[in-house]
Amino acid sequence: MYSSNDLYTNPKPCKHLAEYKVKNGMCGYNLIQDCFRTTPYGRTTLEMSKLEIPRCSVCSGCQGRLYMCLICSSVFCCLSPESNHALLHSQSQDGHEILVNMERAELYCSVCCDQVYDPDFDKAVMCKLIKGFSRSENGVEESEMRLSKRRRLSFGMDLDSKNMKRLFIRKSKSCFPLGLRGLNNLGNTCFMNSVLQVLLHAPPLRNYFLSDRHNREICRKMSTDRLCLPCDIDLIFSAVFSGDRTPYSPTQFLYSWWQHSENHATYEQQDAHEFFISMLDKIHDKEGKASLAIKDNRDCQCIAHRAFYGLLRSDVTCASCGFTSTTHDPCMDVSLDLSACNSSRKDFASKSSKPNESLVGCLDLFTRPEKLGSDQKLYCENCHEKQDALKQMSIKKLPLVLCFHIKRFEHSPTRKMSRKIDCHMQFPLSLDMKPYLSSSIVRKRYGNRIFSFDSDESDVSTEFEIFAVVTHSGMLESGHYVTYLHLRNQWYKCDDAWITEVDEEAVRASQCYLIYYVQKMLYHKSCEDFSCQPMSLRADTFVPITGCC
Amino acid sequence: MTRRHSVNRPPTPDTRDEQENEPTLKEIINIKLIESGEKERLMELLRERLVESGWKDEMKALCREYIKKKGRNNITIDDLVHVITPKGRASIPDPIKAELLQRIRTFLVSPTL
Repeated sequence: MYSSNDLYTNPKPCKHLAEYKVKNGMCGYNLIQDCFRTTPYGRTTLEMSKLEIPRCSVCSGCQGRLYMCLICSSVFCCLSPESNHALLHSQSQDGHEILVNMERAELYCSVCCDQVYDPDFDKAVMCKLIKGFSRSENGVEESEMRLSKRRRLSFGMDLDSKNMKRLFIRKSKSCFPLGLRGLNNLGNTCFMNSVLQVLLHAPPLRNYFLSDRHNREICRKMSTDRLCLPCDIDLIFSAVFSGDRTPYSPTQFLYSWWQHSENHATYEQQDAHEFFISMLDKIHDKEGKASLAIKDNRDCQCIAHRAFYGLLRSDVTCASCGFTSTTHDPCMDVSLDLSACNSSRKDFASKSSKPNESLVGCLDLFTRPEKLGSDQKLYCENCHEKQDALKQMSIKKLPLVLCFHIKRFEHSPTRKMSRKIDCHMQFPLSLDMKPYLSSSIVRKRYGNRIFSFDSDESDVSTEFEIFAVVTHSGMLESGHYVTYLHLRNQWYKCDDAWITEVDEEAVRASQCYLIYYVQKMLYHKSCEDFSCQPMSLRADTFVPITGCC
Repeated sequence: MTRRHSVNRPPTPDTRDEQENEPTLKEIINIKLIESGEKERLMELLRERLVESGWKDEMKALCREYIKKKGRNNITIDDLVHVITPKGRASIPDPIKAELLQRIRTFLVSPTL
């Protein structure tokens, strides 16, 4: 941009500007940078606040040329040589000679009554301009559009600069975290794509497959069985983390999936939760059988179970004698009722009117003691009789990845019809599961006592971070699944082939169906090492990231 | 009951301050124009028209002439603005003034205001 200026040398700064530079350096220029604004017509102006128009601090007029002092940020006007308030200011305040023209963002010396030039100042202006344009992917037009949009919002300046910074941080598509790749819809397969996106970004699964723990070559040699679902998942992992951003078609996987479960081998819409559970089962079938863990009566060490396997505890207490029988059930997810919209439910606490649209509310309801109906009487081992009973659920063992399934599809046996509950649900970004652990629940039952009920749980990490939400829009019979991924503190919407950055509000405004949390330590780790994932392990299957779209 | 003496009474507001707090109609219009972004559009329109009509070239010539007369090193931006502004204001073509006035009128009666 300076090439045409070769004929000119930089004008010599006046002595006031030189003095200013010696005293203040770049400080004033850097501070004023936040006030530069580009008009929709590409001019740079100085703006202090959206709400107020600048006024001269001497006569409070807003006519004529207005200048802002670089030292004290006061505004002065200059209507004529007789009423030059900028000059007045510099006479009363020593060192306040250099000002900036607000309309043109140019330097002015009030003592010399003349425009002055400083390459450093111009650099500060241009810096801001260039940065402003690079915010948008499509260049100048879009940035202008955004600027005019911002203008309409009439924020205060501080808010505005925050907004600017947020826009700044937004990167172009090529800077999306590695592994974000759209999946083509192969005919009503959004249920599959949405769950696949979650599994691709579930830290334990990602680490497992990207560290080559399931090698396709070895697997092929080892087993005679041609179909191997983990192999197909490994294939998707390789494709998605290859750095290629063009949408991928998981055809091989779908074919394999059809072979595994023939009743799903159609182009009909399926339930994402059902798919998720059966997929974990299929992985377990293949991987779990290979390990010896089942023989030793230990927890299965297959990747599906290591990531998602948890244990639910259910205590059934006899209402007459107080005898409690406890059972433990393995679980891959926690299914939660949305009771706020379900008035027919009989709560033990009889607070059915209480709104329950938050995940925490649902969890409270889940772990609340529930009176079993007359048709579900318990045979009490103590009374040797069938008695009314209370049932209370709690979580005995937390999995690494916690999946909440929101029961949006309600079946009413009396009306013999099903319906979808359409309400929104709030969920926290970080969740502490401690209150829902068996130890806490049992402790609560016995009142406020300092006594360890379940010592083996004390060292378990109960802090969870959200990383994915699968949402459903539409009706019971037909609808669309979309996954929102929370990676590196940014939400990404994965709608089949399209991946876009979205705000948190967009996620909150949709109807979540499956919510996935991961243990906090795994989430933070995943944030840090994501970009420096070792590539050497699978060097043959990866292409360099630089070639992405 | 003794009447309490008010010690920390705020100073009586200046009559001048009150006047300043209440913006004149002209100022209100100015604020509305800026807030809506209409002022920016009007400024751009005006710039365009002044270039089209040759007014800008005319002013440029006047400035050059004045600078030559005074000497390149003996002139400031303030001098130039002071000398050229009256001539500039006087020589704006009437149709442009009319067009802008019409635009401002339309803006003032528009329902978005």
